[in-house]
Amino acid sequence: MSYKCSRCKRDVTLDEYGGVRCPYCGHRVLLKERGGDVKEVDVN
Amino acid sequence: MSDADFDVQYIERDDRSARVLIRGLTPAFANGIRRAMIADVPTFSIDTVRFVENSSVMFDEMIGLRLGLVPLTTPLDEFEVGDEVTLALDVEGPATAYSGDIETSEPMVEPADDNVPIIELKEGQRIELEADAVLDTGKEHAKHQGGVSVGYRHLQHVTVDGDRGEFDEDETNVLRGVIETEDGDIVPTAAFDHDLSEKYPGKELTVEDVPGAFVFHIETDGSLSVEELLLRAIDTIEERADELHTKVSV
Amino acid sequence: MMIPVRCFTCGNVIGEHWEEFKARAREGDEDPGEVLDDLGVDRHCCRRMMVSHRDLVDVVSPYQ
Repeated sequence: MSYKCSRCKRDVTLDEYGGVRCPYCGHRVLLKERGGDVKEVDVN
Repeated sequence: MSDADFDVQYIERDDRSARVLIRGLTPAFANGIRRAMIADVPTFSIDTVRFVENSSVMFDEMIGLRLGLVPLTTPLDEFEVGDEVTLALDVEGPATAYSGDIETSEPMVEPADDNVPIIELKEGQRIELEADAVLDTGKEHAKHQGGVSVGYRHLQHVTVDGDRGEFDEDETNVLRGVIETEDGDIVPTAAFDHDLSEKYPGKELTVEDVPGAFVFHIETDGSLSVEELLLRAIDTIEERADELHTKVSV
Repeated sequence: MMIPVRCFTCGNVIGEHWEEFKARAREGDEDPGEVLDDLGVDRHCCRRMMVSHRDLVDVVSPYQ
């Protein structure tokens, strides 16, 4: 699972023990990155 | 076979909009044609989108919806309902992705308008996608409708009964559609600002519907020409009648 | 956000006229009604699509 810190814009990987927190700046707001898969959408 | 005596006259004629006077129709048949133009003539429309990259400000589904509404040219002689054509869009910001940027694998099926904005992209944003357009009818989804605001009115016959009293109030007499004068001229009401008192000042008039004469207003979204739409609508009625014919005869 | 591709009510394609309408009537000083007549956007359902629209891409883009 890859996230990006919303303050320092660095990539963050969450582990079981660290809690939701950026290891570089301590910011608690993380943004989930869009996956690399091709996403298929039905138009209707 | 039939004693219908049809007569067709184009009153206004453009590529994408027209007014057609058809005589010899019953109200039921006129409505059948109207409904066929809206719901039964198939057109191409994007139905599935595969997003490779979308870093724009809008969600994939929102862009998919916008793409679905872009009219695509539809040569009906070459395709059958259910056929698919693949399209692609790849634009990098800063720029606006327009319908004209959509590339097609089949040159006969392309966006009918090139200037429809799909999404505005800022610096660093990018959209890359592949889409399948499918040929289907307006019954399935409104995005497949070829006809836009298709409707009809009766042709109205105007008779001059005589002069209005000298001291009578000059009232407006608003009428919309197309009239037939006593000389047999066909005049759209827009020619006299939709006001009969402009065309016949100080006259006493009678206005009545001409039986069996309907003025169709037909507009298309660009996927088909007006004439093609009308012809195909009539074809679908014929096809259904044929189908019923075979079902009844066995 | 972006100008809708088609009129909500009648389904006519109106998106293609937005940029000219914006340049002439919103940013320019022409009369919006006359510009719409000029563009061939005749029905009042289609006209309200243009008159009541606001572009929001610039507003939301800072929040990525």
